Amino acid sequence: MSRVLATYNIKGGVGKTSAAVNLAYLAARDGARTLLWDLDPQGASTYLFRIKPKVKGGGRKLVRGRSDVERLIKGTDHDRLDLLPADFSYRHMDLALDETKRPTRRVAKVLAPIAGEYDYVFLDCPPSISLVSESVFEAADALLVPLIPATLSSRTFEQLKKVVGRDGPQVLAFFSMVDGRKRLHREVMESLGGNGVLRAAIPAASDVERMGVRRDALPVFAPRGRAALAYDDLWREVRERMPAG
Amino acid sequence: MPGPAATQYLLPDGMRLAGAGDVLAAHLVVQNGSVRAADRTFYDTFDARLRDAGAALVHADGRLALLDPGSFAERAGEPCAEPPGRLFAAELAPGGLRDLLAPLTGVRALTPVARVRSRERAMRVLNDDAKTVVRLTVEEPALVGPGRRRTPLPPRVRLEPVRGYDKALRRVRGVLENGAGLRPAPFSLVDEARAAGGAPCAPPARVPLRPGQRADEAVAAVLHRMLEIVEANLPGTIADVDSEFLHDLRVAVRRTRSVQRRLAAVFPPEPLAHFRDEFRWLQRASGPARDLDVYVLEFDGFAAAHRQRLEPLRGLLAAHRRAAHRRMVRALRSARAARLLSEWRAFLDDLPAAAADSDRPDAARRVDAVAGAEIRSVHARMLRAGAAIGDASPPEPLHDLRKRGKELRYLLELFGGLYPGRVAGEMVRSLKSLQDALGRFQDRQVQAATLRSLGDEVAALDGGADALMAMGLLVERLEEEQAAARAEFAERFAAFAAHPGRALVRETFA
Repeated sequence: MSRVLATYNIKGGVGKTSAAVNLAYLAARDGARTLLWDLDPQGASTYLFRIKPKVKGGGRKLVRGRSDVERLIKGTDHDRLDLLPADFSYRHMDLALDETKRPTRRVAKVLAPIAGEYDYVFLDCPPSISLVSESVFEAADALLVPLIPATLSSRTFEQLKKVVGRDGPQVLAFFSMVDGRKRLHREVMESLGGNGVLRAAIPAASDVERMGVRRDALPVFAPRGRAALAYDDLWREVRERMPAG
Repeated sequence: MPGPAATQYLLPDGMRLAGAGDVLAAHLVVQNGSVRAADRTFYDTFDARLRDAGAALVHADGRLALLDPGSFAERAGEPCAEPPGRLFAAELAPGGLRDLLAPLTGVRALTPVARVRSRERAMRVLNDDAKTVVRLTVEEPALVGPGRRRTPLPPRVRLEPVRGYDKALRRVRGVLENGAGLRPAPFSLVDEARAAGGAPCAPPARVPLRPGQRADEAVAAVLHRMLEIVEANLPGTIADVDSEFLHDLRVAVRRTRSVQRRLAAVFPPEPLAHFRDEFRWLQRASGPARDLDVYVLEFDGFAAAHRQRLEPLRGLLAAHRRAAHRRMVRALRSARAARLLSEWRAFLDDLPAAAADSDRPDAARRVDAVAGAEIRSVHARMLRAGAAIGDASPPEPLHDLRKRGKELRYLLELFGGLYPGRVAGEMVRSLKSLQDALGRFQDRQVQAATLRSLGDEVAALDGGADALMAMGLLVERLEEEQAAARAEFAERFAAFAAHPGRALVRETFA
């Protein structure tokens, strides 16, 4: 059975896609059979792997269980790493889910037929609280939550833990887009550090921005950069908490 | 019907790595990787279970992986620093590789069958977004033999599909076949390497025979094959690679003895008597080792409930098994065994040409008539003997029936192809079900007796008292299983007697 890890935050632009792409790449590089499902209609992960953001039949057919998910999966340029692409129709996924029975179980149902094929499944989620995120919470073993170390991040984190509840997935938060020169960042990290937030912190580095230009995972084109090393640390920490099932 | 689409293509004569790269680049948008040396060790079981399942296990680049033998697309893998000399799927770490390999290989060991060193260049076929849609590898392989001697194998292009890009794959195939003029490779690299001098694999048991063939000629062909199987399994038995080598060796010896006994009138009587004695000796010399192999293989199943307490027994069984193997290996390596096999070969070589047919009345008859008469007769004897067994019968008649059943099964397996229809196959199936019950009945009896005989030895060991009590429970369980097998007998025998019916057997093997 695969471990399902979802990068999630209610806010956009916090480093979800970078985390999903780089961690999925590192999992595959370590030898794990890995799938990344780009659930965000903007399709940033899909774009980064140079794959067309198109799912035959769209999101509605997929969540209703009418698509053969195995035929929708695309191989990336990297061994053992596959992608279930984004589709612009995912912007209406909430509505599509609402039309189904037990909508919060739908993401897990889509993944069920391919559970044996992968050691890890990463879900790159759109920023929102919606039926999509509820369905993701139900499918995921852990949420990977990037936090920008600003004043509201501790509140966001606490809120999220409350939403997920005790029976939900593990919440693994980590600091993202960290600017060590900013006093506020340092202070927030100090105050939240050790309080359920992982040790590895992803810096705000130009390498991460270059992913969009290079259209590839960071460890491929800047493996010794600060950001790539930070993702290495992050993956090691996540893997310790979530060994392949 | 077109065959499965090719994933390996041979380069035209004289074309090397650089030339092939140029040809492909002329037809496709490709990104070239650098030329590198690859060192691959391929593994399989002795009876080629992975090849038969359309899979290849390969060690390369610090990784052990189960691949598609054509494209080398990985199905599962795990890090493994050095190529192992031998491995069992059950001993791998839990994970995808073990999950896929274990059901394919069962109790068989995986050993290296070929080591191939290649100069190769990886290329990626790109689409308009510079996305890889097909992976190509141009390869100059060579089999690495003993003393690192290299035998060049035909250079080839290997094509690895990328999931979800089937249209691009079809286009690339079209280009390779029509544009670049490459031929699909008739054999995969691993098969080619094995054929060029990799490790041998188990010969098949069945020999093609013709119904009108002289009986001595056909019997000589069958027994030659049995001899080949004995000799092929000898090194693995002696080295104790896995328990199936000894098992298959013993089956070939038993089949030989069955043919010697049942088709005796094909042979000159004097030398036959000598060979029958000698093969009986060989069979007996390997019996205790096989019995203990079975014990060790089945131990975990038996002992699950009392694992801890039975540890002294497990150690003792392992020690007895090692000793039995040592004694067997001495016999198998002896001059007597070597003489038996070489004299038997010479005897079989000469059998069809042996002048005097008067001593061996069946020699010149048609093999289908001779074997058919034996199949009918053993079948009829089994029906009589089985019908005489009642609920109160002692164990011996059941054991005898099992022996007859083995004879019948061997005759059907070796000569069944001579007869029309599916009767032989049907008989083997209903016979198997009967033999399974008879086998369990006898095995459990022997196993319980062995346990009882080990009682004193176990008692003298550390933790022996505890183990002894658990052994008592185990003996009880074995006796229960023996009783259950006994209870199944009547029904299974009735099914065997009815399918196929006696009349159909008589008609088929007339």
